[in-house]
Amino acid sequence: MAAINVITTPSLDGKRRAFVLAEDGIGHYPEFRAFFTDIFDLARVGLQRPGYLAAPSGTQYALVFTGRSGEPFPTGVEIYALVPALEPLDEEMVDRDLWEILRWMIGGVGGEWTLADLDATGRLYRLPAAVS
Amino acid sequence: MDESPLPATIRDQWPWQPRFARANGWRMHYVDEGTGDPVVLLHGNPTWGFLYRDFVAPLTQAGHRVIIPDMVGFGLSEKPAQEEAHSLDGHIANLTALLRQLDLRRITLVCHDWGGPTGLGFALSNLDRMRALVVMSTWAWPLPPAEFHTRIFPWRMMHAPLVGPYLLGRHNALAGRGIYLSVVDRDKFRKRAQPAYDWVLPDPESRLVTWTWPRWIPLDATARALERFSWIERELAECRLPALIVWGREDDVFDHATFAGRFKQLLPHAEGPHLVTGRHFVQEDSSPEIAALIADFLARHPGER
Repeated sequence: MAAINVITTPSLDGKRRAFVLAEDGIGHYPEFRAFFTDIFDLARVGLQRPGYLAAPSGTQYALVFTGRSGEPFPTGVEIYALVPALEPLDEEMVDRDLWEILRWMIGGVGGEWTLADLDATGRLYRLPAAVS
Repeated sequence: MDESPLPATIRDQWPWQPRFARANGWRMHYVDEGTGDPVVLLHGNPTWGFLYRDFVAPLTQAGHRVIIPDMVGFGLSEKPAQEEAHSLDGHIANLTALLRQLDLRRITLVCHDWGGPTGLGFALSNLDRMRALVVMSTWAWPLPPAEFHTRIFPWRMMHAPLVGPYLLGRHNALAGRGIYLSVVDRDKFRKRAQPAYDWVLPDPESRLVTWTWPRWIPLDATARALERFSWIERELAECRLPALIVWGREDDVFDHATFAGRFKQLLPHAEGPHLVTGRHFVQEDSSPEIAALIADFLARHPGER
């Protein structure tokens, strides 16, 4: 879990936000919505700004939360890698970072959601990031 | 009609003319082979019509018209990019649109996995078009869920928020390895069938429904499709259509003792359950046996004309 750090808004000079993952149903299990709400103070911040993370590779990620009328906020989250504006993504790096973000999330959600089960699921489905 | 977009290695096993219909606002692919009373074969998640490739010859030779749709979001059908495009009622309406457009009558509906709730939703609201039901490795009631579906590892973790888009979207885990884990003869499956399931889900966006459909399986009384499942169960208990229950002996998703047994309680007049070799994707291991069971069953239940 220490591999992921919540950071303040980073400089976007010379960078672009590269879309890497989206979730439309962050509240499918409400404890996941609660985790992000707590971590990024979303009840107060709302849609004012994304949340930001620094991953093990050193790459920073923006978490853009989304809302939908009639449903508790946030309803979804989009993850963007902050990368040099004109350079292609290092897909393997992003994949490893995303796996660490998932591990950070599951560790933070806690309760019946365990890292052991996430890691076992990753191994069962032979995810490169989980078996390396 | 269009030319098949499939690569030759898949066309060798799935040579039928692709057909497309505008169904409930979506482009829906299906194959339509043979003549006679229609047998409509319905797949679930994350498969497509290919699952029934070895049913076409025996059923058409037995004098049936065989129709195999790809549900919207799967196979060669349109794959909406929005999760909100998918709901149980919406999928029932898609199927209803297609089968009414083809003006099918005296339908035998063969239901597997999500083809169960979807197909039974059609059948029970279009009884005048129906001849018979065949169910295998599926369910038709709100609760309780399969024990497999209540477990965090691997089922609920696999489609948890963000994990689902990563695991099933980026890495195509359900079609790429999930089916493999749920067949008996894995070596044969990997060599012969795996590429056909991979090919139709090439990009993360195309796999959307593979991680959103699992979220529609009711786990408790707050589930969003609970009322529809309750209706299906009530109506099925009143249904007197000839019915056949076929199940995989090794099915560890919907175990036969619990699930085939409950179908038998709901449909006490049904034949079966007939147990054949197979895990959840029972067609991958026992298509010839199941097709023969269906042909024999229909020969003995001609129904009223």
